[in-house]
Amino acid sequence: MWFKKSSILTFIVLALFVYLSMRLTEFDLSKFKDFRNMIDFLSHWFPMDFSLLPMILEDSLETLAMAFLGSFFGLIIGLPLSFMAAKNTSGSKVVYHLTRIGLSFVRSIPEIVFGLILLTALGLGPFPAVLAIMFHNIGVLGKLISELIESSDPGPQEAMKAVGAKTWFASLFSILPQIWPNVLSNYFYRFEVAIRTSLILGFIGGGGIGQRLFNDFKTFQYSAVSLDVLVIMIIVIVVDLFGSYVRSRVI
Amino acid sequence: MLEIRNITVRYPGMKHNALNSINLTIHPGDFVCVLGKSGAGKSTLIRCLNGLQAPSSGEIIWDGQPFSVLSDEQLRKIRREMGMIFQHFNLIPRLSVLQNVLTGMFGYRSSFKNLIGWFTEEEQAQAKQVIAEVGLADFADRRVEHLSGGQKQRVGIARALLQKPRFLLGDEPVASLDPGTSDRIFSLLQEMHDRRNLQTIINVHDVHLAKRYATRIIALKDGEVVFDGEPEKFKDDMYVFIYDAESYGERSSIRLT
Repeated sequence: MWFKKSSILTFIVLALFVYLSMRLTEFDLSKFKDFRNMIDFLSHWFPMDFSLLPMILEDSLETLAMAFLGSFFGLIIGLPLSFMAAKNTSGSKVVYHLTRIGLSFVRSIPEIVFGLILLTALGLGPFPAVLAIMFHNIGVLGKLISELIESSDPGPQEAMKAVGAKTWFASLFSILPQIWPNVLSNYFYRFEVAIRTSLILGFIGGGGIGQRLFNDFKTFQYSAVSLDVLVIMIIVIVVDLFGSYVRSRVI
Repeated sequence: MLEIRNITVRYPGMKHNALNSINLTIHPGDFVCVLGKSGAGKSTLIRCLNGLQAPSSGEIIWDGQPFSVLSDEQLRKIRREMGMIFQHFNLIPRLSVLQNVLTGMFGYRSSFKNLIGWFTEEEQAQAKQVIAEVGLADFADRRVEHLSGGQKQRVGIARALLQKPRFLLGDEPVASLDPGTSDRIFSLLQEMHDRRNLQTIINVHDVHLAKRYATRIIALKDGEVVFDGEPEKFKDDMYVFIYDAESYGERSSIRLT
């Protein structure tokens, strides 16, 4: 038999959660009777206003730079921290627990909160957005990579200790080659997420194509909104393709 | 000379000692094979000898220096004189044969030089020399994932030899290899042992290999030494005793129950 008695209980609990969540979110498909409004709204999106394309591309470049810099600095800082946050490489329990706690603390703060706080000191623009993305990615990549480190094969690490390498060097040198492809794929995923995050940060004044989208939306320039959205979609897809290409070259 | 004085190892949470009051002296020129069932303490013994595992009590003395009084740094310097080879080879993935063999020098160089991977012409020539010695001259630039098991173990041996070891440790180096390959690896180990005048200790499951190559057999059972002597003196009854087998050769025969 595939199902145990306890699976029935699980099913009932799940059904209850779905019901309660629908109540809380006012989930009601009958509301779609007004879907004509949506069609009407979307019809204003076309035709797209291509005269804006050069400016949109310029802002896209800013968004890409924000996402790249934020996630890349996140990787550069998160990578060493991840070795301190992994059981098999941290060397001391105190360091291990402190780093773990630090990483979850940083991770628990959403980028938009970082952004809002930093905006007060740094003013409007992409710089606070880069920092917000970086802080969050230190937390996320630090944790993800520390898990890769913990699941790596301890054999090569032992071999490097046996040749007489220093302990920290033995860990670094034996583990990094093992986890490298997965580090890259995590990084590219976080880069992709950072693009979407930088859009949201644009809404609070973080610059880039997110801010343009928000402004176009608020000023009812839907023919510009549609082109913004199209460009954003293309960027995300291109970054995704580039990521898989790099990863396939590395493996 | 390596002396093992009354060492006991107990892992946390385990009922029995992994090693129980072991006393041994390894002499220059010894080619020792350590026999025993899985869990008899063979790996623990090997790992104690180069300080990867600290004994719970007792002392290991290398050239008159007891391990327990040495700092981590001094222990590391001893470790680089002890080449070690492993059952699963423990090579660094994604690196070439040459790069893996060069890691054998790591103990003698600064971590900074190791990190950027800067090796002098002479260091590279030494590495190529040992690669040729183990018969992999044509594979120096091949990535290690693409080698067969026997070739991988040859890389492991070359890495250990580049340490210019005085002592060679093997933790079941042929347990994942087929019988013919195992024999060739042992014959290579014997050749290196003789040519470089090493002291060698190797864990092995295969009694035939031990009897063919060892100058001395040590058998462990439940963490204690139950046999220590010349291979000719290791008889079938000893085999039955250490492996809890019903008869000699049981492991290789097919039983119909």
